[in-house]
Amino acid sequence: MNTNQDILLTIAATLRSFLDPLLGNPDVVDVTMYGVALAAILGIIFGNAVILVWAERKVAGYMQSRPGPNRVGPIGLLQTVADTIKLITKEDIRPKGVDRWVWFLAPVVLFVPTLAAYAVFPFSEGLIAVDLNIGLFYFLAVASTVTIPFLMAGWSSNNKYSLIGGMRSVAQMVSYEIPLVFSLIGVVMLVGSLKMSSIVEAQSGIWFIFLQPVAFLIYVIAATAETNRTPFDLVEGESEIVAGPMTEYSGMKWSLFFLAEYANLFAVSAIATTVFLGGWQPPPMPAVMRDAVAFIPGWIWFAAKTYFMIFLFMWFRWTFPRFRVDQLMSFGWKVLLPLALANILVTGVGIYAYRIAIGG
Amino acid sequence: MLGKSLLTGMAVTLRELFRKNVTEEYPEVQPELGDRFRGGRLDLVVSKCIACGLCMNNCPNGSIKLKTVKDENNKRQLDSYIHNTGLCLFCNLCVEVCPTKCLVWSKEFAYAGYSRDALVFDCMALDRERIHREEQSQTTEEKG
Amino acid sequence: MQTQTFELNMGPQHPATHGVLRVVLELDGEIVVKATPVIGYLHRGIEKICENRTYVQSIPFTDRMDYLSGMNNNLAICQTIEKLMALEIPERAEYIRVITAELNRIASHMITIGVLALDLGGWTGMVYCFRDRERILDLFNSLCGARMTFNYIRVGGVGWDLPEGWLDECRRFLKDLPEMLKTYEDLISGNEILQMRLKGVAPLSAERAIAMSASGAVLRASGVDYDVRKANPYGIYDRFDFEVPLGTSGDNWDRFYLRYLEIIQSARIIEQALEQIPEGPVMAKVPKMIKPPVGEVYHHVENPRGDLGFYLVSDGSPKPYRWHARRPAMINLQLLDELSRGTFIADVVATLGTLDPVLGEVDC
Ligand code: SF4
Ligand code: SF4
Repeated sequence: MNTNQDILLTIAATLRSFLDPLLGNPDVVDVTMYGVALAAILGIIFGNAVILVWAERKVAGYMQSRPGPNRVGPIGLLQTVADTIKLITKEDIRPKGVDRWVWFLAPVVLFVPTLAAYAVFPFSEGLIAVDLNIGLFYFLAVASTVTIPFLMAGWSSNNKYSLIGGMRSVAQMVSYEIPLVFSLIGVVMLVGSLKMSSIVEAQSGIWFIFLQPVAFLIYVIAATAETNRTPFDLVEGESEIVAGPMTEYSGMKWSLFFLAEYANLFAVSAIATTVFLGGWQPPPMPAVMRDAVAFIPGWIWFAAKTYFMIFLFMWFRWTFPRFRVDQLMSFGWKVLLPLALANILVTGVGIYAYRIAIGG
Repeated sequence: MLGKSLLTGMAVTLRELFRKNVTEEYPEVQPELGDRFRGGRLDLVVSKCIACGLCMNNCPNGSIKLKTVKDENNKRQLDSYIHNTGLCLFCNLCVEVCPTKCLVWSKEFAYAGYSRDALVFDCMALDRERIHREEQSQTTEEKG
Repeated sequence: MQTQTFELNMGPQHPATHGVLRVVLELDGEIVVKATPVIGYLHRGIEKICENRTYVQSIPFTDRMDYLSGMNNNLAICQTIEKLMALEIPERAEYIRVITAELNRIASHMITIGVLALDLGGWTGMVYCFRDRERILDLFNSLCGARMTFNYIRVGGVGWDLPEGWLDECRRFLKDLPEMLKTYEDLISGNEILQMRLKGVAPLSAERAIAMSASGAVLRASGVDYDVRKANPYGIYDRFDFEVPLGTSGDNWDRFYLRYLEIIQSARIIEQALEQIPEGPVMAKVPKMIKPPVGEVYHHVENPRGDLGFYLVSDGSPKPYRWHARRPAMINLQLLDELSRGTFIADVVATLGTLDPVLGEVDC
């Protein structure tokens, strides 16, 4: 385990020791620290969106034998910033027939669960906004509400494309939520806890991707569907339903959808990292090398793994065609769900057998 | 069910990720157009033109408009020669039919204007300008 | 539960309608009850325009019909006029015509494959197809100075002789073609998701295909062995050894995959033509002003989209009395309603992709 102090943790501790005499009351200090955490999370989300949009376009570009954005700033790094400025300054068009409040609220509401989910990500040892004892459950509960704003947007836009997209999003997300949850249950059974930090610590010996490869596969597939990315991008379905629920949005509202999409992408990748890839811990390696890399703080490992997962999702997107809506459903219910259930069964039997072996 | 072919596809895109891209970075790198390229304006060499009007008559879209006048020797002379590139099909029929080969393409591949009028060129004026430029460069050469 | 159908306007501005086609879909949820293609957004009246042009002047207008296969259109109209005039074409010109027409067929099929991949959500496949097609367009550009609107094949031959090194460049392209096809196979046609999307969807029986006058890959996918190049050889196509790939069920997959197979056959034809091509003139003696004898003629060729025919009536004057085109894309498109019924919205997009209309030709 990491013995030397993490720089981010040091900053947090310094801040706390600085605030302590200033505010006096420890409760007030706690609340302030939560505020700082919230600000940090917002920073992560916005910073990430900027990087991810750029990265996605670069990955897409290179995979399609073109250079991607390369004009604004060095290697196009400022492209997203320029795009954001463009989106913010754009006229905010509200089509005539929309259901005003629902339409207005949808992108805002979409952002809330995404933001809330970030509270339980263990970026590094001790670097977690709230280490809930039901962390994983909390994440799943919060993340599953993302469906509602999509339906709100689709319904209130008063546009048939949006409506179809909204309906698709509900059907798709509800169907893939279940295998997603079931794929994580195997790990929870192994750990015996829903607490994020204990899940990560349980992987100090061996990552769960090796113990639960099927669960990992199911998780990746279901997560792709949850984030509406190719091959499951039916909700947007560019060539079929134009842009699905987002069809009528423009300017800042549209960019909120975009922001939430990338925030979600980061979220599912972070969960994959936490649950299957050993979280903030360095990859399994001999003890000598372990000491050699001990100076690398946990959050770097965490970020590296998360970005690897994100790259995987991008790679999918720029390789595969899209499913059809009925195939999507039958794949979810007839393949993924039984597979996830079987995985739970096998895990259960395995744990039982292991216990007997240990005991005997 | 799903499996192998998806991985094959992913291998294709991954391989491409590390290959050189094929983009020509346009304003810096100009495209290679070749000597047969048809595009841009029609450069008319007025001194060679015999004002026969074949180019106008052969144009399928009426994009060449020329007027002639008779000079004192009763010889036909060009009065005006307008090429409307907005209507041009770039079919090359005018260039091919010209008996004195006095039409050539200026070979610009990208030009746009803010109005349709910007696409209409007076080829005689352009020719005069060109001659003027050439003379000037000659005189500067002589001086230098 | 009582349900109601609703109407959805797909197009004329829509990412997947290949230009400006409008399809009025009557939907029961996601299932299509009726699909009505509404055409005419790109109508320019080319037939009427060409009746007011001389015969030679009508050639550049055919470039603008099916703009993805200009060479084949040029070939069709020129051969029709030549038939009317009973004109003999120099050997070399005939070979150049075959080479360019088949190259253009490959380019056009690459677009069909790539755009279908795009319609099904696979962006990258489209980019690869367009990238490789660029090789052909560059060949054409060095040949005649245009990339899409060629006006290269002329009455009596071809406009320009081959530039130096062109044949080698063409051979090099053919050498690289198998690798390109392998990429498409790996990324597009071999992909199980794509196969799932296309197989068994929107099947067309041979009887219906014939009854609806379908042609090209749409007809052959239903198992009808009809290719104008074989059935009614024009030019020098009878000298080449090639196969006509056939489908069995006429579903979207067959229609799609046939185009892939046709690329291979076209490459075979070009290879043979490159071997046999003689030296010599590329233009026959053609009168300055073409005035064909009074009469009428119909001539058809196998265009990438199907059986393209031209019907010309001459009254002895320099301008045709009647200039009519049988446009395969237009006729194939009429199958859309029949094929889409009972399928999903996403399938309409795929069916449209495999019927492969080019709106410039549909609307003409
Ligand atoms: S290229 Fe064709 S359309 Fe253009 S001016 Fe010449 S003849 Fe007319
Ligand atoms: S055809 Fe040539 S010579 Fe005759 S008018 Fe035109 S440009 Fe002049």
